[in-house]
Amino acid sequence: MFKKYLLGLVALVALLTFVPTAKAAEPHYIITTDATYAPFTFQDKNNNYVGIEQDTMAAVAKREGFTYTMRPMSFNSAAQLVSNGQADGIIAGMSITPERREVYDFSTPYYKTGVAWIVKKHSKIKSLADLKGQTVALKTGTAASEYGKSLQSKYGFKIKYFNDTDTMYNDVSVGNSAATFEDMPVIQYAIKNGMSLTVMNANNPGNAGSYGFAVEKGQNKALLASFNRGFAAIKKDGSYDKIVTKYLGAKQATFSGSKKDNSSILGILKSNQNALLKGLWQTIKLTVIAIVLASLWGVLLGVLGISEFKWVRGISTTIIYLFRGLPLMVLAFFIYIGLPGVTGIKIPAFTAGIITLILNEGAYTGAFVRGGFEAVDRGQMEAARSLGLPYGHAMRKVIMPQGLRIMVPSFINQFIITLKDTSILSAIGLLELTQTGTLIVARNSQGFRVWAIIAIIYLIVITLLTWLSNWVENKIK
Amino acid sequence: MTEAQNKVKVHVEKVNKSYGENHVLRDISIDIAANEVVVMIGPSGSGKSTFLRMLNQLETPDNGTIVVDGFDISDKSTDINKVRENIGMVFQNFNLFNNYTVLENIMLAPVELGKMDKAAAEKKARELLDVVNLADKADVSVNSLSGGQKQRIAIARALAMSPDVMLFDEPTSALDPEMVGDVLEVMKNLAGTGMTMIIVTHEMGFAKQVADRVVFFESGKIQESGTPEQIFNAPKNARLQEFLSKIMHA
Ligand SMILES: Nc1ncnc2c1ncn2[C@@H]1O[C@H](COP(=O)(O)OP(=O)(O)OP(=O)(O)O)[C@@H](O)[C@H]1O
Ligand SMILES: [Mg+2]
Repeated sequence: MFKKYLLGLVALVALLTFVPTAKAAEPHYIITTDATYAPFTFQDKNNNYVGIEQDTMAAVAKREGFTYTMRPMSFNSAAQLVSNGQADGIIAGMSITPERREVYDFSTPYYKTGVAWIVKKHSKIKSLADLKGQTVALKTGTAASEYGKSLQSKYGFKIKYFNDTDTMYNDVSVGNSAATFEDMPVIQYAIKNGMSLTVMNANNPGNAGSYGFAVEKGQNKALLASFNRGFAAIKKDGSYDKIVTKYLGAKQATFSGSKKDNSSILGILKSNQNALLKGLWQTIKLTVIAIVLASLWGVLLGVLGISEFKWVRGISTTIIYLFRGLPLMVLAFFIYIGLPGVTGIKIPAFTAGIITLILNEGAYTGAFVRGGFEAVDRGQMEAARSLGLPYGHAMRKVIMPQGLRIMVPSFINQFIITLKDTSILSAIGLLELTQTGTLIVARNSQGFRVWAIIAIIYLIVITLLTWLSNWVENKIK
Repeated sequence: MTEAQNKVKVHVEKVNKSYGENHVLRDISIDIAANEVVVMIGPSGSGKSTFLRMLNQLETPDNGTIVVDGFDISDKSTDINKVRENIGMVFQNFNLFNNYTVLENIMLAPVELGKMDKAAAEKKARELLDVVNLADKADVSVNSLSGGQKQRIAIARALAMSPDVMLFDEPTSALDPEMVGDVLEVMKNLAGTGMTMIIVTHEMGFAKQVADRVVFFESGKIQESGTPEQIFNAPKNARLQEFLSKIMHA
């Protein structure tokens, strides 16, 4: 009987996440990217993915006659999906390094990069040696700051750390700090957009390197060849330079929207209405499907957990222990990135997200369902059995109805947790509400306002969910 | 089966039971005949409940033989559910099903086990409610009943399966004194119908009136058994004498 439930569960997941794919004559590829990396890839004010990389990819694809699906996600996930064969290629400001060459095959470089050192306009500082005894502003955790720090003992400057780029730039432009280190294209983009700073080593970047398009080593040779051919062509006819100029030359507002749109909550809401609604819908879809399936799975685990048979209880206990113990994000990465590397079966991010939620939330549900059944007075079972009712009948007719009633508040609580946990799935690139927020902030830097909006949307949905649950609870009574 | 064996409803032979170090039942042997009413008395912890619960396998003995109604329930291959259908049990704490009404409590087992259709089960349930004098409570929730009412419903629920042995484990111990009489009345009437009954109780007056045989448990052993007159008026066992003097003066 349980087998039947399980089969149904699997079928349901498959059905709910089945995406019909159109058969095309042209080759179709899945490309990953990191959409928080202006000017290379970011979301514009219409929530389209734009940037040097996006336009380049589009131009190359057009010339070479292939189509692709672009999958924005965190850089690490983007890279891992390609290295384990879940995606075909990555274009995400990925520097070509010897270590990465072990895992990936790179295209011809499409952009030269490196670390710039920067001072304010008309500064008296002319060389790194002039920095002796001066303060240098660095952003915590970046490659550029690592590079700056490596020069500290040689040139004898002091370091002041910042958490965000804007404050750091300002500290230099007003003269509090003498200099800063930053990725070359990023600072160039900022200067074009009005920062009054000067790059001192534009022709000689530190840790010089190049960004390349990459595929899994030894795989997708056709795609790589296509990219190289297409890129050479757009480079030759000048369209690549036009793309670069378009992004490095244009004002940021062209892409990120007017100041007015970004400086008030209402403006942000209006200009991102569609993206927010789409993200919300994705969150709700994940939540509802996960709540239904995780509850079924959890009840099954709970029932197995109070089985007559010790080994069945053991199975339930082990599953609950395992999946309660694993952090949700680890589980998501394991299912989405880890497993396919071994099994070779590609899992869509949505399906992976749902499976993650079922396993994690189901384990918590299983634990309180078992607890609820155990909380039913032992005498109830004894009385039922003494009448000749077999164990299963006694469970279904006497224990479970009473136990489930005890569990109603726990279920409501778990539903709310599930809703909140969907936000963690942004890590595998699911474009739900939280990931939507991340992308908007990456574009307009309005962290406070955007996250306030996202927080309020979550609170509203949670309130609605709580009302609905309470209404159902009253109906049951 | 011979006529003589047929008359033995419950046959217990050399049964032992331990909980860890605690040897709760020691070599218990007893035969109980059809239609017999046996009352078990003894101090707390002497093993009375354990013995009773072993007769329908709510507890399993470590060794020994238990035959009820001709079924060897100490044999693992016996379908215990079938045997239990013929053994009614009444608990100290009633254990009525909290998620059902009074009528549903009584009807549940016969319907669920396919013994009767719903209509027949309901008819029988209402007859039984008459027997326990609670006809007007058919449709109330069991939680609204007093203890004495609950216990009478519990008896009716057990009788709905038409058992031929009834086990009672201190059925009046959880009741307020004014409720005890109603329950004992029902049990007395039941004994009058010829039901085989095994009753653990501290109600000595009831034992004297109703019991065919009184069995004294102490330290997991049957120390003495006999007619009520023998046990209450001429106890031989020193521990029984001590036990009786204690409750008489309590
Ligand atoms: N499930 C159990 N696990 C461990 N020990 C138990 C269990 N059930 C009963 N015992 C022990 O077995 C002994 C006999 O218990 P039992 O309930 O049979 O006594 P009793 O004669 O019915 O006493 P009372 O008059 O208090 O109901 C006691 O020492 C009790 O603590
Ligand atoms: Mg007892």
